[in-house]
Amino acid sequence: MPDTTNHATSNLGFLTVCEQEDQSLFGGLLVLNISGRPLEFHCTAPVRPNRAQEILYGPTLRPYLYGEQIGRALMERLSAAPALVFTDVEPALALRPLTKVPVVYVGAESEPNASSSDLTARIDAPHPTPAPSGSMRLQRFRLGPWQLAVPQAHAGDESHVVSHWQSHADDFDLSEPFGRIREAIEEARRAAR
Amino acid sequence: MQYQHHPWEDWPDSELPTRDALPIEVESVDLSLSASIFATGWATLLNRAPKIGIKRASIDAALPGTVSVRLRRPKVTVRSFTFPESPSWMPQADRKASPTNRGPSSGPEAKHEKPTHEKATRIAPPGDVIKLQDRLYYVLQPSLESLVSSNELAFPFEPFPYQFEGIAFLYPRYSAVLADEMGLGKTMQAISTIRLLLYAGEVRKVLLICPKPLVSNWRREFGLWAPEIPVAIIEGDRAKRQWQWTDLDVAVRIANYELLMRDRDLVVDPQGHFDLVVLDEAQRIKNRSSTTSQVVRAIPRTRNWAMTGTPVENSPDDLVGIFDFLSQGYLSPGMKPRAMAKATREYILRRTKDMVLTDMPPKLFRDAELELSPEQYATYQTAENDGILRLEDMGEGITIQHVFELVLRLKQICNFDPATGASCKLERLEADLEEVAASGQKAIIFSQWVHSLERLRDSLRRFGTLEYHGKIPSKQRESVIDRFKNDASKHVILMSYGAGSVGLNLQFCRYVFLFDRWWNPAIEDQAINRAHRIGVVGSVTVTRMLTLGTIEERINQILQEKRELFDAIFSETGSTPSNAGLTQDEIFGLFNLRTPQGPIKKAS
Repeated sequence: MPDTTNHATSNLGFLTVCEQEDQSLFGGLLVLNISGRPLEFHCTAPVRPNRAQEILYGPTLRPYLYGEQIGRALMERLSAAPALVFTDVEPALALRPLTKVPVVYVGAESEPNASSSDLTARIDAPHPTPAPSGSMRLQRFRLGPWQLAVPQAHAGDESHVVSHWQSHADDFDLSEPFGRIREAIEEARRAAR
Repeated sequence: MQYQHHPWEDWPDSELPTRDALPIEVESVDLSLSASIFATGWATLLNRAPKIGIKRASIDAALPGTVSVRLRRPKVTVRSFTFPESPSWMPQADRKASPTNRGPSSGPEAKHEKPTHEKATRIAPPGDVIKLQDRLYYVLQPSLESLVSSNELAFPFEPFPYQFEGIAFLYPRYSAVLADEMGLGKTMQAISTIRLLLYAGEVRKVLLICPKPLVSNWRREFGLWAPEIPVAIIEGDRAKRQWQWTDLDVAVRIANYELLMRDRDLVVDPQGHFDLVVLDEAQRIKNRSSTTSQVVRAIPRTRNWAMTGTPVENSPDDLVGIFDFLSQGYLSPGMKPRAMAKATREYILRRTKDMVLTDMPPKLFRDAELELSPEQYATYQTAENDGILRLEDMGEGITIQHVFELVLRLKQICNFDPATGASCKLERLEADLEEVAASGQKAIIFSQWVHSLERLRDSLRRFGTLEYHGKIPSKQRESVIDRFKNDASKHVILMSYGAGSVGLNLQFCRYVFLFDRWWNPAIEDQAINRAHRIGVVGSVTVTRMLTLGTIEERINQILQEKRELFDAIFSETGSTPSNAGLTQDEIFGLFNLRTPQGPIKKAS
């Protein structure tokens, strides 16, 4: 995996994982320059967990596959580390402990808060269900118009993201590159047929 | 237990005895219960020690079976692609606010609006790009909408979604025909795509060829949509042109078709290779044997695009001529429309206003069916009868040229009686223009003949009349358009179909009059669409003038039938229309003449 201690680069990584109908997973990592132009693209062949993994990994299966396997394999192919890696799939945050690059979840909804009103549960309303044991505790924050999150175990990433991205947050559409990745994965799948 | 009763409790308070005098009397009652213990023998049993028996069991039985599941790491295979870093669309320091900004950015609300788009138009790789790396290069480019909104490129107006699609279509194609209906902004789409290709470094030297009257229009449009791109108009004497062709360091050259003929040796010089050649009004090369067609085909180039609102004017073979420029031999004359449509689908993009501008103000047609004035009628009858007699006398020697001459002669009489100048059309036109001028509106009047326009000029002078036709020098034409647009006293512009039917933006006009009818509906459509195009603020009323019982009515009937046929075929195949003009048989049929036996001599 490329050394990421130096974040002088302003390039950005965008990581997503597409789940197909047959439950196979395709990962894609796109590196853009600050103008949104593509520099590198890496995508995986389909990854499909077997039945034993589905049973034994339980709720930790998706973070394991998205982050530790697919995310890491893609990051290892980068020629240069980006300043940040954005992802639109929360389980991919499991990549964070394996890299020095902050991994940021785009589109995080507000955390289910524990305000006093929630303490009085109505018996005729569904009770809040606890987060699945595989999901990571998140540090959520807002940057410009974007609701973002980083793993709570790497809460220090928030200040890095803010300092690096503050000036671009209003101009750069952080959700748009994921559409490109999905189209590129589809294009690669068609080519492989 | 004993209970003591105190007798003074029954005494009234006043009669209570004192302590010393109180007599104490105690009565005792025994309340204790007696209990006896029965001898059951249980207590003895409780004291007896339990008896413990020991049973042996073997623990040498088989161990439980175990199954081990190896959780191997899934193998993740990665394919990698790298792309050359293109220069930014615009240096950061040069960015400036454009009218396409999403409004003021000072307020907090504006600052926190997500820069997202409902629709993202991406450059789709054409079918002939095979290599995955190349296809992904296009797929992974940012959406065109994001380029506009991020101020990477300044646009004077937010393009329409279909215009983004047009840019996405042209950008990756080395051969393309942009065949949008007139008025949909082909010019803007071509300029914007050229601009993107220049910034991406994919092209550096572009040649744009257009009809001479449209050169100034292209220059103006480049100034609007790509003001930072250096553009040179090829003009002047031979020495200057030679320098412009060979030595001038400029991104875009604009030349007209006529000039191309004169500078043929310079244009086709292999040293002067162009990265992109764009033909505007590409129907000019529909005739494959024409000199124009031969010269443009010989220009050394990497990419070639053709632009035309009428890719098929008279016959599907028109498209063969255009494709000979794009890829010689790709289409062949006589191909069936379906086969042609299938072969060209990848290369042609055609949209009509009905398809993309559903909210555009309507185009209202009004047929002014007029009776000839008595003078006109007398002249017309004489001319037609004499003409037909002469044609019949020619026998086998008759050619289509002879018939054409009679048609033109009769059509001119329908406009004006040559002897007296009487004109039923003029009378009607004057009446209509009174209303147009009174309401402060402007009108375009089209005619096939300059001398008809000149007669109109004299009669319509009071409406503030301007002229735009072949007798007006090219250098003056732009100022004519400017005056017509900006001078409130000028209500009428007289245009010939030839000079005024293409490339002009006159969407401020609400009225169009077709004083006489062209042979081909496509040309009429082009003329009408000078006014009915993007930016038009209200409905456009088109008045088609037609004299009853004359050759005009017969031609109109045939063209109407052909237009219906054209629409039917076009909508079915999605591409090539049928023959839209008049065939030789149809022209002969105008006078109930029969096509002579054997091959007909072609009209010149």
